[in-house]
Amino acid sequence: MESKVVFDILGIPVTENVVWTWGIMAVLIAASFLLSRNLKRVPTGFQHVTELIVDGLEGLVVRVMGSRGRVFVPFIIALALFILLANFASILPGGVSPTASLSTTAALAVLVLLVSHGAEIKQKGLKTYIKGYFSPYFILFPLNVIGEIAKVLSHAFRLFGNIFGGGIILSIIYMFVPVVIPGILNIWFGFFQGIIQAAVFVMLAIVYIQVRLE
Amino acid sequence: MLEAAIAIAAIAVGAGLAMGIGAVGPAVGEGYVAGKAVEAIARQPEAENSIRTTMVLGQAISESTGIYSLAVALLLIFFMGLPLANRLLELLG
Repeated sequence: MESKVVFDILGIPVTENVVWTWGIMAVLIAASFLLSRNLKRVPTGFQHVTELIVDGLEGLVVRVMGSRGRVFVPFIIALALFILLANFASILPGGVSPTASLSTTAALAVLVLLVSHGAEIKQKGLKTYIKGYFSPYFILFPLNVIGEIAKVLSHAFRLFGNIFGGGIILSIIYMFVPVVIPGILNIWFGFFQGIIQAAVFVMLAIVYIQVRLE
Repeated sequence: MLEAAIAIAAIAVGAGLAMGIGAVGPAVGEGYVAGKAVEAIARQPEAENSIRTTMVLGQAISESTGIYSLAVALLLIFFMGLPLANRLLELLG
């Protein structure tokens, strides 16, 4: 389950996962820098693609959370694009999906938790936030805390389990049929499952933020 | 030696059962959700987009239990079975 160590920086081991995570981040930063220059009123070329992505995700957020959700649109778009590219990474020859490691998905789930709770504290104030844990009755405090922890756990394990499980099935089939079929299945798991799981993760992130703000 | 072998066998059977039995519930639940979504789209084709979004979200949430059993199976294999098997192989030489 551990990923391979590629090289060391000052005694800190750098694994394949980290290399691919930073590679995807570099691609995203470069793409957003290149695509956001020279924006025109009437879109041409790649501006269509950019507007499609931004409009689609903004529409999704606004549909669930109303217009107050516009603050979270950049966060949601970054999350969606990162997870999408991370899922696609395993299609490349020798590619490693960072999302097939529990460390990455747990970090993403904790990020969503921090954003949703931070937004609640900012909107309602610290007092109402803490009071929320003791509602409707004082005695339900442990249940509320466990509920929050279970949310993060299932959020992280859902993405990890699907991508990692796909990889395991692929490697088992590769042992029996080394030609043609693994290629087709790789595209199935990479593209189709990748898109669906990224969409599910992002939608749940939106819903979790929305639930805290109500 | 024999005890370790029995323990490894039990872990392997347990992991298989955890995944196999745990997959039944989510499979039935997700199939039911998809069937209902087909009925809803047949009745109201213009609401297809929002039905699809709700369907995927509902399926993702009912998948949680299946994912939990996958996590248990993985824990059994990678953190209990593999170390034990490696120790046994070392003992056998």
